[in-house]
Amino acid sequence: MSKRILVVEDQEDLRAILRDLLSASGYSVIEAMDGAESVAKAASERPDLVLMDIQLPVLDGYDATRQIKALPGFTAIPIIAVSSFAMKGDEEKARAAGCDHYVTKPYSPVQLLRIIRGVLSENP
Amino acid sequence: MDAMASEVSTTGEQQDLARRVAELERELSEAHQRESATAELLQVINRPQFTLQSVFDAIAQSAGRLCEAEFAFVLRFDGRLLSYAASYGLTPEGVAAWQKDLPRPAAEDTAIGRATLQRAVVQIPDVQADPAYGDYALAQAVTYRSVMAVPFLRDGHPIGGITVGRAQTGRLTESEIRLLQCFADQAVIAIENTRLFEAEHTSKRQLQESLEYQTATSEVLGAISRTPTELQPVLAEICKTANRLCETPDAAIFLQDGKWLRVGSVQGSIGAGASDKIALTRGFVAARAFLDREVVHVHDLRAVADEYPQGYESSLKLGHRTIIGVPLMRNEDAIGVLILRRSEVNPFTDKQIQLLKTFADQAVIAIENTRLFEAVQGRTRELTEALEYQTATSEVLNVISRSPTTVDPVFDAIVSSAATLCGAAFCDIQLYDGEHLRVAAIYNFTDEAKERFRKTYPMRPDHVRASGRAILTRAVVHVPDTLTDPEYPRELAIAGNWRALLSVPMLREGKPLGVLTMAQAQAGPFPERQINLGKTFADQAVIAIENARLFNEIAQKSRELEIASQHKSQFVANMSHELRTPLAAMLGYAELLQEGIYGELPEKSLPILTRIRSNGKHLLGLINTVLDISKIEAGQFKLNLGEYALGSIVETVMVATESLAATKKLAFKTEVAKGLPYGLGDEQRLTQVLLNLVGNAIKFTDTGEVRIAAGAANGHFTVSVSDTGPGIPSEECERIFEKFRQVDSSNTRAKGGTGLGLAIAREIVEMHGGRIWVESTIGQGSTFRMELPVRAAIVPGEA
Repeated sequence: MSKRILVVEDQEDLRAILRDLLSASGYSVIEAMDGAESVAKAASERPDLVLMDIQLPVLDGYDATRQIKALPGFTAIPIIAVSSFAMKGDEEKARAAGCDHYVTKPYSPVQLLRIIRGVLSENP
Repeated sequence: MDAMASEVSTTGEQQDLARRVAELERELSEAHQRESATAELLQVINRPQFTLQSVFDAIAQSAGRLCEAEFAFVLRFDGRLLSYAASYGLTPEGVAAWQKDLPRPAAEDTAIGRATLQRAVVQIPDVQADPAYGDYALAQAVTYRSVMAVPFLRDGHPIGGITVGRAQTGRLTESEIRLLQCFADQAVIAIENTRLFEAEHTSKRQLQESLEYQTATSEVLGAISRTPTELQPVLAEICKTANRLCETPDAAIFLQDGKWLRVGSVQGSIGAGASDKIALTRGFVAARAFLDREVVHVHDLRAVADEYPQGYESSLKLGHRTIIGVPLMRNEDAIGVLILRRSEVNPFTDKQIQLLKTFADQAVIAIENTRLFEAVQGRTRELTEALEYQTATSEVLNVISRSPTTVDPVFDAIVSSAATLCGAAFCDIQLYDGEHLRVAAIYNFTDEAKERFRKTYPMRPDHVRASGRAILTRAVVHVPDTLTDPEYPRELAIAGNWRALLSVPMLREGKPLGVLTMAQAQAGPFPERQINLGKTFADQAVIAIENARLFNEIAQKSRELEIASQHKSQFVANMSHELRTPLAAMLGYAELLQEGIYGELPEKSLPILTRIRSNGKHLLGLINTVLDISKIEAGQFKLNLGEYALGSIVETVMVATESLAATKKLAFKTEVAKGLPYGLGDEQRLTQVLLNLVGNAIKFTDTGEVRIAAGAANGHFTVSVSDTGPGIPSEECERIFEKFRQVDSSNTRAKGGTGLGLAIAREIVEMHGGRIWVESTIGQGSTFRMELPVRAAIVPGEA
């Protein structure tokens, strides 16, 4: 059974790119368009990994990460923060919220795929 | 028998008499000589352009001649030293020899020294018998045995003296001493007169000096020449002395007063009951003497009724017979007359007439002194006032320059200065906005007045109040008496505690901005000077208003510009950020296409996708640069400090750029010193700087090498990026770090770039507390160097 990745991204294009890339790479993709939806989807779908955008409507990436990590059995689920802030303080904030990895926009999809593969191989 | 005895005794007596007559004649002739000398001296003093030197010369000559001296000197004393003024009887060589010893302190070894110290006449009857005497310089110049000195005393203080020396031993006679004392008095008067003339002609430029000088002079003069009100005693003294010496019962001094001669002083029985003035008609002896400027001597008034009808009338009434009138001459003009009257027919002798002329001259000197004293006093008052005014106006100017943004301190300074200087009861400044007058500053208002003003203002200017009139007429309004002014409302005049008002409009280009008003408790016109002062203050108030207006306008403008500029920078920052999102999507899709995520693509399309991606990345780089600059401009550019290894920054940059260098077949070398400490700074930004420098080096170099060197010294990292490119002209070496600046525009087209990279690099380096610069030789290449503190302390950005 293929690994399930929750992509939290409000930009349709970026979501599509990730969807296309990850599907083509053998992952099953669940999508959420804002922070609140991501928490709900995480609870219902129990993904193996979360790609979390930071700038999100309704609930931002930091809070969404915190809530997901607080769900029962989610402590070990890796969350990769994706932020366009490109500032050191942001990475620290993201890690403080519970993110396990941090990637800055704009990213190369192929490089991101490499990171995702690395993380999932560490968390089989 | 009686006759015989009388005869005999007559013979003896005749011999005695003859001796006495001869003696008297000699004395008389001496006295006459002395008096004419004194008179001469007075004439010299009284000349309009007399010089002190000429007076001293005349004194030396007369003293020496009349005392039959070998020599005579006049010396001046400044309180410490005696110095040469004039001499008589010495050859020029003698004077020169004597002067070698001058100036000298006043001491016991000379007669003049003793006279100065003792403030009294000193006689040394035999210099050879006086052990303390020792004027050797003088002894070499002239032979003499006795010497005498008379000090010049002003107010009891020595200011010089006369000294005379004679060949024979012995003392001066009483009359000789009196003569010398008289000379001494004249010298003092001459010295004082000179001071006065000088004081009167001191230039305006030396306002302060002249003021001090004149104050001192007037004080001295006040002491020695007495105050103006004491002219009377001086004139009285002259009249009394004249009566005594001429044995007359009556003397008077008349002074000109328009068309009259008015009594200045009358001493005696005859004139006591007379009118205090006489008409300037030729029928009066006094008037004739005045009009003709000549002595008029009438032996018997009763015999000249036709010639002097008024004098004749007067003689019938007052009972006098002989009369003499001596004009008081100042320069060429008569200013009064000295008259002496006798109840019997007894003409005056020539000697007496000569004496009276001297008295007349002395009276003129006294009057002159008084006049000069008054002139000096008046001038001193004027100068003091002018100085106060100047000081006040310059103080207001100071306040204006000290408070460019606000007018209140200026207005406060103006109202208090104006009121104080003009002795005004109170003073205020009202501002006019084109409709209403508002009180802006007040000085010395009673609480009651403040309350009244609070209720009255703001108000429209009216034709009733002085301030309103000044606004409406745009002219100075002067109300010397509010109670008699036809327009000033009586109830206001009564209600207010003022009687005189002065309102000066504050005009800018003819437009009233406000009004300065001063009020006096007493009725009476404001003097011209105060009106002018008011105008000056009003002008200064306008300057202050203008200054503040312009200053605030400029400050407002720059605030607006600043905000506009920040808005623009914020907009560009937001815009750049928004541009990156779709660009990221385009790059992402291109990469997926190239990776075959969407299936196999034709072979030919793959390099096109590479081009799309590289152009997209380039565009992203440009957007990032613009974003950085706009952040810098908006003051939002911040460093994120952290630990970094310089070696790894070099490594990162090398990895990112070596393929570019390889493409251009450039050698790429790095030299990183071993054992570099960890730095504190913004690793990402420093990487950006180095990347920019290396990118530029590769971009502008076509053959040769690019070399990165990194080291540390004195707590600083040193990083250099050298290339073998075309080099940068020296005049460009500083300017390339400015925004939007490249070496030349043709290069911009050939090499691309925003011209912002180096500006951002410099900003980043300087925010780390470091510096960046370039060294270059045209045709050989350039070396960009930076020096960074190993541990950076954030320096706030300039934007």
